Amino acid sequence: MLLNRETSGKRWRIRPDGLGKVTGSLAYLTDMSASGMLYGRVLRSPHPHALILSICTEKAKQLEGVHAVLTHLDVPGLNRYGIAHQDQPVFCENKVRYVGDAVAAVAAETAELAEYALSLIEVDYELLPIVDDAELALSQDAPLLHPQGNVLHRSQFSRGQLDSGFAACSHIVEDTYFTPRQMHTYMETEGGLFVPEEDGRLTVYSPTQHGFMDRLQLSRIAAMKQERIRIVSSPIGGSFGGKDELNVQPYGALLALKTNCPVKLHHSRWESVRAGLKRHPMKIAMKTGTDASGRLLAHQVRIIADTGAYATLGAEVLNFTVEHVLGPYRYEHVEVDGYSVYTNNGMSGEFRGFGGNQAIFALEGQLDRLAEKLGMDPWELRRLNMRMPDDSGPFGQPVVVTEGAMQVWNAAEASGLWRERSMPDGDQEREPWIKVGIGSAFTMHGGGLGVGIPDPAGGRLSLAADGCIEAIFGYEEFGQGLLATLELMLIEQFGLAESDIRMIIGDTDLVPDSGSTTASRATSMMWKTLQNLKAPFTSQLLERAAVLLGKAADMLVMGAGGIYETAGRSLLLTYKELAEVEGEPISCSTAFQFPTSDTARTGAHFLYTYAAVVVKVEINQLTGRVKVLDQYHAVAAGPVMNPQGFLGQIEGGSSMALGFTVTEDAVMQQGQYMTKNLDTYLVPTIAEHRGTVTVEPIEHLPQGDSYGPRGIGEVGSVTLAPAIAAAIYKAVGIRVTKLPIEPELLQNDCAFAFAEEAVSER
Amino acid sequence: MSKHEMLGAPRGAEQSELACTINGEEMKLEVAGSKRLLSVLRDDLALTGTKRSCEIGRCGACMVLVDGKPINACLTMAYQCAGKQITTIEGIGADDGGMDPVQRAFLEEGGFQCGYCTPGMIISVKALLERSPDPSEDEMEEALSGNICRCTGYGGIKRAVERAIEWRRKAP
Repeated sequence: MLLNRETSGKRWRIRPDGLGKVTGSLAYLTDMSASGMLYGRVLRSPHPHALILSICTEKAKQLEGVHAVLTHLDVPGLNRYGIAHQDQPVFCENKVRYVGDAVAAVAAETAELAEYALSLIEVDYELLPIVDDAELALSQDAPLLHPQGNVLHRSQFSRGQLDSGFAACSHIVEDTYFTPRQMHTYMETEGGLFVPEEDGRLTVYSPTQHGFMDRLQLSRIAAMKQERIRIVSSPIGGSFGGKDELNVQPYGALLALKTNCPVKLHHSRWESVRAGLKRHPMKIAMKTGTDASGRLLAHQVRIIADTGAYATLGAEVLNFTVEHVLGPYRYEHVEVDGYSVYTNNGMSGEFRGFGGNQAIFALEGQLDRLAEKLGMDPWELRRLNMRMPDDSGPFGQPVVVTEGAMQVWNAAEASGLWRERSMPDGDQEREPWIKVGIGSAFTMHGGGLGVGIPDPAGGRLSLAADGCIEAIFGYEEFGQGLLATLELMLIEQFGLAESDIRMIIGDTDLVPDSGSTTASRATSMMWKTLQNLKAPFTSQLLERAAVLLGKAADMLVMGAGGIYETAGRSLLLTYKELAEVEGEPISCSTAFQFPTSDTARTGAHFLYTYAAVVVKVEINQLTGRVKVLDQYHAVAAGPVMNPQGFLGQIEGGSSMALGFTVTEDAVMQQGQYMTKNLDTYLVPTIAEHRGTVTVEPIEHLPQGDSYGPRGIGEVGSVTLAPAIAAAIYKAVGIRVTKLPIEPELLQNDCAFAFAEEAVSER
Repeated sequence: MSKHEMLGAPRGAEQSELACTINGEEMKLEVAGSKRLLSVLRDDLALTGTKRSCEIGRCGACMVLVDGKPINACLTMAYQCAGKQITTIEGIGADDGGMDPVQRAFLEEGGFQCGYCTPGMIISVKALLERSPDPSEDEMEEALSGNICRCTGYGGIKRAVERAIEWRRKAP
């Protein structure tokens, strides 16, 4: 069933956070201010690689209205941060490694003064040779960026005998694929308000995707007990992975603690560009072979990822790529060798898709090239090699039985758009330099953080004193619709009315640690939490009600507004009346880990979402531009928890994928960003989105599956790029190996000649 | 002379009176003429529904209506607003305190996710429908191409605009 407002019926609901968003009354954390507030600013390195010879802050400190100037000497605790590996300096001591590196920070009475104070800080640098290419960084004579070398992480995987595998192949294709330094481009840049409280605690109002991780990291930096720090992390004006790691928080926290005044920071777009994370640019070389019938025999992959100056989750992203370059296919002989390499370029890190986007672009390109060699329909080649429901995962690890691959393959095969592929032009007349093609691609995408990484989950349900049913989770709302999804689950699973529910998220003083709001995991984990809590919470409520009503608990049920008799329709007792009864508070919690595979392979996944995309594109051979006309997405992720959210995630993810494919690249030269703002860094506008996007969720899970909804936050951003590449090949016979697609690649001399002729004839 | 004037610091620039109407209310504000409208709205008047994002007039998050026309508040100096009627997202609702049909359409169609671009987007749609109640797809594209939304892929936004057009057509 196609997903839209009409097919969703009553499940299409107004989002609980919607009113504040359409009226402008919702205060984002960067909209906050406080009386006596100071303005914080960070001095960042102008150089991609240099030694710091000296830092003099005296002039800045003497400026009237400046309350603090901090350097590495002022960090009470660990002068490093990083979710997985703490190697990024809060303030650099004697070396800078990229143009976002922080050297000092100031707090002043006005934003202008703070900016002026930065100009008074004198830093002497000695320039060092710049390592601006990941491959060069691997060479023997490359300057070392870190004492341990330039390789952050190497990840390998092999199975079978590659040499004999290739020897048995009838067809082999080899190609190298390049993907861009994509920017998250959340519309709200990083920022927040940092408030020292009277009791000596610190309250941090700043976006993140895991409040408890920020609390842990800040406690290390500020040398404060975690309990002394409160992180308020929601609502957020977009994140897409980009606000998962610390950004302004160390500076805001240290400045607030030093001055004992509230401090506000809010990055300009340029500061967000220079300091913020990007998607890892990757070079992926693949050699893939089949037998004469098209069966995949051998697959060799080499990955080089430019991780920038520091780790953040660069190693984990590479692990994900190594898993996903194998994809939803069967091979006997496999060898993958990946490097995540330090450079003096901008920081790469966590970004929606998490290394899967790059992997699938390359892998699906290989399948298309092989199909052509075989003279076979590319979709048929995928069917021939597709994983079966009981197959193990890409690493050979046990995974949940899943029919997703075949489900999305079938759905795409049956789609109207794919059936058009032999005659994409239909009967429409087009100029001779306009070419049309239809292509498709296929993905499996892991959910959760994977084996070997703490991945806690859980939540709490309580009956509050005012009679509201409180659902309390340590997650964040950054636009994905988490609150709307939770609300709908509570309504559907507990029979509650909207007015019965209070949702509490994104505040470490109030919520349990439910793990990170990343890796397409939050919806799955909220669902599982409610499954765990349903019986105990319901029975606590009903037993209390039973005593009060003098009826047996098993004759009572929860419903909208209160407790009902199983057989009857009339409300016997409101939740408010129940809450007013004296007794132990009614509250239930659960805590568990995201389910993982029984394997030692770090990062291996257990639950996967599957997607197939069909796309129709138009290529203008005069301009070399690609226009997407229509898209079809089949997504197998179990039951749809929130139709509006599901549709929005796939539509929005595919828009990000479109940018990744045709326009987006944070261009760097010699370690400096050339694209400093949204005039040169081009994200899709409404003008790039004229076509239709059809989304078909496949909800059926194998019998006995107990894992419920799989994540869909990332998968929409993965599969469009290779589908567009396939469509381009269909239209003009040109293979795309590098994203974003350079228009020159698709411009055609014959088209120019034709256009000139047409003009001269006029 | 204060210490920072000696050093050539920003001198709190000369304040002058700005008389304009904001969300229907006549205002006389003491602001530096060099201040941007975006800062006047957000920092001085706490009208934070108008958002700060690219600050070069590219993304539209800061759009407001000035005499009915959509403009980027980040590119507008305070002095340019003298005598003008300025409407922000906070002032766009109906006189009875209810929502504008454009706001209601965004709400019901889910024409937003993170919501950070939404005030500017709604301002642009409102201005579009005021001048062209039944816009073609080209007109819609032209009118909204200065408003970047990173979350939705514009699907929900287009559905909201279509809904708003329909409602306005049916409205008496």
